[in-house]
Amino acid sequence: MSIVEDPSLAPRGKQKIEWASLWMPVLERVRQELVEDGSVRGRRIAVILPVEPKTAYLALMLSEAGANVAVAFPGAMVQDDVAAGLAARGVEVFARRASTPEEEREYFEQILSRRPEVVIDDRADVIRFAHTTHPEVLETLLGASEETTSGVVALRAMENEGLLRVPCIAANDSRSKYLFDNRYGSGQSTIAAVLDSTNLLLAGKTVLVVGYGWVGKGVALRARGMRARVIVSEVDPFAALEAYHDGYQVMPAAGACAVADFVMTATGCRGALGESEIAHLKDGAVLANTGGIDDEFDMERLREQAIEIREVRPNVVELRLAEDRSIFVVGDGKCVNLSAGEGHAIEIMDLTFALQALSARYLLLHAHELAPGVHMLPREIDEQVVRTKLDVLGLRIDTLTSEQEAFLTSWEVPV
Amino acid sequence: MTSVETRSRIADISLAPLGEQRIAWVARHSPVLARLARERLSDGALGGRRVAVVVHLEAKTAYLATLLAAAGAEVVVAASNAGTTQDSVCSALVQRGIEVHATHGASSDEFEADLLAAADVGPEIIVDDGAELTARLLEHRPDRVEELVGVTEETTTGVARLRALESAGKLTFPAIAANDAACKHLFDNRYGTGQTTLSAILRLTNMSAAGKNVCVVGYGFVGRGLAQYAEGLGARVAVVEVDPVSALEAHIEGHRVARLEDALSDADIVITATGRTGALARDVFAQLKDGAVLANAGHHDREIDVEGLEAEAEDTEMRPGVTRFAFGDGRRCYLLSEGRLVNIAGADGHPVEIMDLSFSVQALAAHHLASTELPHGVQEFPAELDREIARTKLATLGVVLDETRGGGL
Repeated sequence: MSIVEDPSLAPRGKQKIEWASLWMPVLERVRQELVEDGSVRGRRIAVILPVEPKTAYLALMLSEAGANVAVAFPGAMVQDDVAAGLAARGVEVFARRASTPEEEREYFEQILSRRPEVVIDDRADVIRFAHTTHPEVLETLLGASEETTSGVVALRAMENEGLLRVPCIAANDSRSKYLFDNRYGSGQSTIAAVLDSTNLLLAGKTVLVVGYGWVGKGVALRARGMRARVIVSEVDPFAALEAYHDGYQVMPAAGACAVADFVMTATGCRGALGESEIAHLKDGAVLANTGGIDDEFDMERLREQAIEIREVRPNVVELRLAEDRSIFVVGDGKCVNLSAGEGHAIEIMDLTFALQALSARYLLLHAHELAPGVHMLPREIDEQVVRTKLDVLGLRIDTLTSEQEAFLTSWEVPV
Repeated sequence: MTSVETRSRIADISLAPLGEQRIAWVARHSPVLARLARERLSDGALGGRRVAVVVHLEAKTAYLATLLAAAGAEVVVAASNAGTTQDSVCSALVQRGIEVHATHGASSDEFEADLLAAADVGPEIIVDDGAELTARLLEHRPDRVEELVGVTEETTTGVARLRALESAGKLTFPAIAANDAACKHLFDNRYGTGQTTLSAILRLTNMSAAGKNVCVVGYGFVGRGLAQYAEGLGARVAVVEVDPVSALEAHIEGHRVARLEDALSDADIVITATGRTGALARDVFAQLKDGAVLANAGHHDREIDVEGLEAEAEDTEMRPGVTRFAFGDGRRCYLLSEGRLVNIAGADGHPVEIMDLSFSVQALAAHHLASTELPHGVQEFPAELDREIARTKLATLGVVLDETRGGGL
């Protein structure tokens, strides 16, 4: 039995899922493959991803290919209508936008009680939960496929401490994922969510992007595309130098906060903006997080410090920090493109979820050959996704001649 | 019920708190208009003058109406477009004591009646959009034209209409081409429309722009902005133009310039910005690629021939603001916001800061009409006022200008 906010929202949710399915031709081909080869039929797959139309379609297509699918996700990144729509189509769903921490724990309990063979995980939430709370389910868990950069970081930490007991695929680290999803997906949808929510102009504004990984690169690129001046702050010298060569101003976050009209965090790390940085923010600065974790800046602490808090538009909260100084937070400090928008563009998630579906199949077929630890997906699977996309687009590419192949694999100095 | 409420036609007065919230947000981000209202509108010139504001009825317009009323004007507000009216904002205006005639999705009969109700107030000054009220006043209420001191016009399309009226000898009053002010068209038409049209399309469809072919029909200031922003989102842009100078400009800017039929054949997203009806008409539907998304950013609701689409294809609502049209040969296209101005019908309209400039022009133009005797016909917005708005904006940004150096020419 599913747990959703309101089953009567199903028609609108179904409509959203249907729309997404129209623009996911790569996933559609994977679906056909899975239906034909029967590789997921009767297998138990848990999907732990923000419940929005594209994830719903991934769950639905796995279910249509014969898998027993259960979906769960905590909190603000859940679209209640989509959760209802998915449940109405026969997939078990445990997700409410307004869920409490106790309920969220219950959702994960429910998921694990289904004894999943494969988990498609986000931020390694369920894998961490299973290791700490229900190690018995690891006996029957073949492996997990991880969606996010921050999740992969956590899994590697577990691996280094010798704690990781199942093979985990770093799906995030596949090129068909991070080059597109993290960069173009986050870039477009983050900027669009902030602008839609605030109705403010970006042209001529100063935007501080904290963190210049793939997400930060995309956000900076699209902010510039919307005619903003971009400042990047980084802790990694390579990323900082890269930002410099991409033409952005590079400076420490504290100083940049003093001049920024918009600040977007994309570090995947807690405390990306600490109290000293927040103290520098200009009156009227708009703050949003697009990183992989919810507390890149400490919303709870900000709420405590504020003299006054009020919602000024849907998804925009004014925090009055001093008599003459307010800041505006979009999407409650959670990943803004999901908390104040519909998530990444559909075509981007087409790539990501085609990869995730193939990753789930790979685990079902090959997990027994893999040792506990973090693994990359084989290059052929990564390539299958992008080649299918190119084919769908009608784009053709060149191939190496046999002479070129030989050249690239030889070491002798050519005569 | 207050007397203003009795005279007004709005959807639901209880929506006022939401409208108030929206207007408050606008007020916070409109420092230029606020400062100019304080410094220039408070001299009493607008006191007791009947001012009709007929612009897209959302929070920015409401703030302009509020400031004009605060300057002493008797303001009446009506919609310039039925699809773009936000009911909550109308309610908040009525609550603030301003007469409003507008509801979201008004029928064409209601829309006409609303405009005539504004005309019947006998406006002395009209802040117009698309010359919608001015044209109706001339046609349906000729006896009230005499009371008209002047008009100030918001859009390219409206200025063109006013010039046509002038040529026909019908403009017996001054009409300021506010649209042609530098502080209006350089920013509003280009950056305002550019940013908000693209983000509205992405929001309505949840689609990705990167790598897509975007066809921009019309390369005026609006088209220029659309092309810039589409490119900024990673799209490839094709521009369709009839004017050779504009076409050459688009080419030199680095866009592909093509005939409409050719550009449509590979366009994933088509955006019209011509200011004319039938920019995308029945005769080119056959060229549309399967899956094309169609949106309008020009003034006219009929830039895209929606009736033609309805006649030739079967329509289904896919999600809010997205209608699918399926042609007999299996191709489909997706029309956004029923062909209305997509950034207003499908989102919140131009960014606040852009309208801060545009409505500063309108406010000063209305004040200028009220305080200065002007000749009949289409008039330019005074250059010194235009510069003052730009200077005020720069001052609010803390930007310091250089001074002229050297001994001159």
